[in-house]
Amino acid sequence: MKPLTLRLKTKPPCLVDAAALRPRALAGKPREDILRIALQGWNQSFAVGDLFTVSGEDAGRVVLEGLDGSLIRVGAELDAGELTVSGHAGDYAGEAMRAGTLIVRGQAGDYLGAEMRGGAITVSGNCGAFAGSGRAGAMKGMSGGSIVVRGSAGDRAGDRMRRGLMLVEGSVGSYCAARMLAGTIVALGHVGLQPGYLMRRGTIVLADARFEPLPTFNDNGRHELLAIRLLLESLAQYGPAFRRLARQRLFARWVGDLGAEGKGEILVAAA
Amino acid sequence: MSALGIDGVTVEDTFAEAFGMRATRLIITAANPGWARHAATTATGFATSVIACGCEAGIETILSPRETPDGRPGVSILLFAMSSKDLQKQLERRAGQCVLTCPTTAAYGGIAEDSAQDWLGLGRSLRYFGDGFQISKLIGGKRFWRIPVMDGEFVCEEKIGLVKGIGGGNFLILAKDQQAALAAAERAVAAMHKVPNVILPFPGGVVRSGSKVGSKYKALLASTNDAYCPTLVGLTRSSLPAGVGAVLEIVIDGLDAESIRLAMREGIQAACARGGERGVVAITAGNYGGKLGPHHFHLREVLA
Repeated sequence: MKPLTLRLKTKPPCLVDAAALRPRALAGKPREDILRIALQGWNQSFAVGDLFTVSGEDAGRVVLEGLDGSLIRVGAELDAGELTVSGHAGDYAGEAMRAGTLIVRGQAGDYLGAEMRGGAITVSGNCGAFAGSGRAGAMKGMSGGSIVVRGSAGDRAGDRMRRGLMLVEGSVGSYCAARMLAGTIVALGHVGLQPGYLMRRGTIVLADARFEPLPTFNDNGRHELLAIRLLLESLAQYGPAFRRLARQRLFARWVGDLGAEGKGEILVAAA
Repeated sequence: MSALGIDGVTVEDTFAEAFGMRATRLIITAANPGWARHAATTATGFATSVIACGCEAGIETILSPRETPDGRPGVSILLFAMSSKDLQKQLERRAGQCVLTCPTTAAYGGIAEDSAQDWLGLGRSLRYFGDGFQISKLIGGKRFWRIPVMDGEFVCEEKIGLVKGIGGGNFLILAKDQQAALAAAERAVAAMHKVPNVILPFPGGVVRSGSKVGSKYKALLASTNDAYCPTLVGLTRSSLPAGVGAVLEIVIDGLDAESIRLAMREGIQAACARGGERGVVAITAGNYGGKLGPHHFHLREVLA
């Protein structure tokens, strides 16, 4: 069976919540019912049939094509199946998802995977700010699952992150892992200013040595740590760039943020 | 009883009686094979019999770096106890005192997640040694604890799998003298060490003090198996055939019945190899009439 494919045919005049287009929510629905599903915009709703052309049958694998960022919360609360997006996935993609797979072939906006608890998100391009963070006012960011960004991530990636894994092949913006509670962020590219600002626990691994620690981080020396080796070897499945990093043994370790609990660590690949 | 023979050695038509136990496998790795072995040997020390040791434990196999979770040399050990609670206590004590303390080591569970019938805390208990500096890390879906120690970090899994195992598989080697019995036992042990999922918990894998249940002294749960003591022939109801001057027993604990069966077969065949000319007289097994242990390993079936 071909995946159930929804191709955007009409750009909506406002941002539209696309969380309803989840594989489990669409499973077993006849085509007519899918076309009638209402998607909420700012002050009006749109039927799926108004915005999309629909083809394919397999609702376990849903494809959203031609997105331009006008849809938000794509894959939000995803709980099973595979959702593939081509184009710009918009803000809040994969927000609060619990299981399943969200594949973005293109870009994602802000708050990618915000407060997600499980499942896997892969973005082939860049994502905006606050990836894996909490929504405004939330006490915790993502608490499980994985986010893999093949491009770069914006500022505040992993803000208040509680658990889970975030991998960024490109660079990450400023305040990466700010107020992080726990979890792991690995960035292969350059990291912006103030990484780990007020982080309590958790691990940031940086492959790029161009890194300026906050004054509230202490130099812990250079270490060859078995747990970090296990961690990096477990990332080999995410591609050759991470396999190369898995061969790195020696890391300069910075511990902090001593302005918070101080049990976090930033590991920088040492020459 | 009728008997069958191998290489001139009589194999009695009897059975070994074994009991259900709780078991786990711990993988210990270290910077080199020597230190992994030191930790494993220490952790499985004083663990010959649940009668007084709290658990039965032994080295199952030596692992190459390719076979361990962290790519370092390792040793796999098995631990058996009469209850999950006892096993938990012994695991904590032995891992805490013998593995955590040993330079460069790390400890991982060796029971596959889908085979585990329950879980035992490992890092869950040991982490407190970190005095608040311990760090947990979720790696590949498993939680690990990193406990700061003086040579770096001790890494261990938070929990390891528990399975229902079997303890007390056994056979006895009856030989013309001590030297012949010992040589046969050594051959058997060497062969049995190649079988996975089993351990031979006694020193060198061999017991000389086979026991019977009970004693004339009320405080003792077990006492010498007088029927097989050559120095008691004529004093007690001896089970020793004529010409037997020494008996050694091999006790096997295993994760499953089939592995114990295989180990017994390998061991008996090795003990009996050219046994007639080497002074081995007979092979038999210990049981309690079949009324106590639910697992019966009939020698005839084992060798079939």
